[in-house]
Amino acid sequence: MAAPLTLLLLVAVTVRAALFRSSLSELISERVEVVSPLTAWKRVIEGLALLDLGVSPYSGDVFHETPLTIYLFHFLVDYAEVTFMVSVAGSSVVVTYLILFQFRKQKFALEADRYPLDCLELIRSPKEMYYIPLKVAMFYLLNPFTILSCVAKSTCGLNNAIIALFILSTIKGNVLLSAIFLSLATYQSIYPLTLCAPALLYLMQRQYIPVNFRRASFWWFIVQYAFMYLGSLFVIICLSFFLLGSWDYLPSVYGFILSVPDLTPNIGLFWYFFAEMFEHFRLFFLCVFQINVFFYTIPLSIKLKEHPVFLIFMQLAVISIFKSYPTVGDISLYMAFLPVWSHLHRFLRNIFLVSCVLLACSALFPVLWHLWIYAGSANSNFYYAITLLFNVAQILLVSDYFYAFLRREHHLTYGLYLKRKDGSEATLVLK
Amino acid sequence: MKIHHFLSLFSTYFLVDGVNIEDRAGQFFSSGHTNNWAVLVCTSRFWFNYRHVANTLSVYRSVKRLGIPDSHIVLMLADDMACNHRNPKPATVFSHKNMELNVYGDDVEVDYRGYEVTVENFLRILTGRLPPSTPRSKRLLSDDRSNILIYLTGHGGNGFLKFQDSEEISNVELADAFEQMWQKRRYNELLFIIDTCQGASMYERFYSPNLMALASSQVGEDSLSHQPDLAIGVHLMDRYTFYLLEFLEDIHPASKTNMNDLFKVCPKSQCVSTPGHRTDLFLRDPGSVLITDFFGSVRKVELTMETINLTDPIEQLESAESGELQKEMHTYADQLPVSEIIHQKPKQKDWHPPDGFILGLWTLILLVFFQTYGVKHLKHIF
Repeated sequence: MAAPLTLLLLVAVTVRAALFRSSLSELISERVEVVSPLTAWKRVIEGLALLDLGVSPYSGDVFHETPLTIYLFHFLVDYAEVTFMVSVAGSSVVVTYLILFQFRKQKFALEADRYPLDCLELIRSPKEMYYIPLKVAMFYLLNPFTILSCVAKSTCGLNNAIIALFILSTIKGNVLLSAIFLSLATYQSIYPLTLCAPALLYLMQRQYIPVNFRRASFWWFIVQYAFMYLGSLFVIICLSFFLLGSWDYLPSVYGFILSVPDLTPNIGLFWYFFAEMFEHFRLFFLCVFQINVFFYTIPLSIKLKEHPVFLIFMQLAVISIFKSYPTVGDISLYMAFLPVWSHLHRFLRNIFLVSCVLLACSALFPVLWHLWIYAGSANSNFYYAITLLFNVAQILLVSDYFYAFLRREHHLTYGLYLKRKDGSEATLVLK
Repeated sequence: MKIHHFLSLFSTYFLVDGVNIEDRAGQFFSSGHTNNWAVLVCTSRFWFNYRHVANTLSVYRSVKRLGIPDSHIVLMLADDMACNHRNPKPATVFSHKNMELNVYGDDVEVDYRGYEVTVENFLRILTGRLPPSTPRSKRLLSDDRSNILIYLTGHGGNGFLKFQDSEEISNVELADAFEQMWQKRRYNELLFIIDTCQGASMYERFYSPNLMALASSQVGEDSLSHQPDLAIGVHLMDRYTFYLLEFLEDIHPASKTNMNDLFKVCPKSQCVSTPGHRTDLFLRDPGSVLITDFFGSVRKVELTMETINLTDPIEQLESAESGELQKEMHTYADQLPVSEIIHQKPKQKDWHPPDGFILGLWTLILLVFFQTYGVKHLKHIF
């Protein structure tokens, strides 16, 4: 596994280095699909320059990174390209190994006799699964979205690395590290808070704590985890205070993420809606949109409480689609996990449509942007239509995988070829 | 009889001569200006904006009649109404209905015509930044002893004046242009008259000294036109300039009417809009400023046989209420912040994170590391 991975890393680094040196890097750094006001590299440099001038970097609504990012880039600003390449390479390695650990953990031989006989083809054999970690690494490293995001030096790469480390530490069962990385991820952008639930479920599963509201061990574990998580979050926030000596960063980072004042177009759903909104309703719709991100956690975790890894995937997808300033870097993170569920392909119903729409939208984004901004012959509705379509395709992808997963589970319990009571073939209907 | 006549003349001569000639010399310099200029601009084109051209030409006529020569007038007309195809009386521009007064006359000298009337050219005239090939008739060759009259008319709004229906000049630009004129000592005193809708907004931003401004309407009000002429088919004049012209027709080069009378021209009953004026930047009391200080080119000439010693500083005649207004001496050197330029800026120090932060962060990281991987690794270090 190490040799092909190294080869893959080399290829990925070459591609990125070539793009860094070319004239495309300037072009890509300015694309709104790749950078958002939260993650743009230009703003990082601007914030550091403001800091050198003796002014708080959060003055003037330019810089929306957290103080720890300031600290990191203060020393690494000259090596930014290397930093981002390292973070991307690191997150891909991390993701590979976490898949490996996950698979090593699975004891499918023991489970085989739990299932009806005709389902054996549904269960993956080790031979099939051997290349999946490599495929995951390839999906992440060679995904054009990741390459674009890395070349644009968007700090989304760092956020993805932290989330990948969080998932790795969760899967390895280390409660403290998982809580710390989760608090780091939440500190960077608020939305990974929802990943608390799958992490808790996974860790409880690992420690054989039953998920039952009446059990004391359940609540005790939650208290422990919450204490570690909140404690590390508190420590990180206080540390950030000591970096700059002021609490300026709280409204600039978290206030910015939650209240969405900047309506630069991006591939998300917030900007157009809030551009045409009346001020009177702005708070209401802001609450609606933000709750929408957090809302799916409880129902999904109730449904998927035995499958926390899939829950992490679903949750990541929901965050990437519904967050306030999404970029293609966020999308590439959950798309990297798609090969893990390659055994669900036979149950996917809309994969052709979804892939066509995603490809077409990705191609149309720059076209309609050019038509709107430069040629003046289109308007924002065109770009928003493509954004909508892109997000609809993503939602369809995620829900399709969810359906396939549930269907496979259903087949694993009730058999692959369903028969009605009188023996004729039955079909499953999704109600 | 003749001897009586001569005796009375001699006596008045001696009486007059009793006053020190140097004191009377102070009267010569009471207004401070030695020459007059006028910049008259009409900014709108098209036949239905006939009245703006008529406005400008009527002010031109008054100014010329009161003595300012064509060489000291810069007349900018954005369109040619006299020779317009739709003019039923070619080569004429009338200001009164029934064609009483032809303000176009025989000797109109238009310096900027048609498409040459642009914001850029107007600002270049004011600031003097014209290309070397510009002829003298197109330049404002004023100096620091010039009183300048600037008259603008056209279509305007809150804070802007529209030129040629395609661009506009803002009140900020105008104020900055006047400040450039002040810094380059291109005027002694400046009277700014504007006849547009919401004209008062154009003088709101002035900040240079010795500016007096009049406008035909306040912010939020429109300036209205006066009378249409049914034969020509368009409105001939705007109300404010119509009454201004009426007022100016009574002025002759020796009249002593002052600015306070000018402020009373066209009250609300006649003009429908409320004319406004601004005198806070003007150092002299408006009551002591003659109309002819700006609208005419009045030379004070007094014959004397005596020699006057002008090397001593000339005392200016104080007006009745002295001591209220402190007249500031504006010197050129105060306007260049040389002292700030000479001092170098301190070298910028790079920002470094505080030491406590670095210490705290790395301690935490080490703690977590050893917590995860076991304390037994510590013994490898120590």
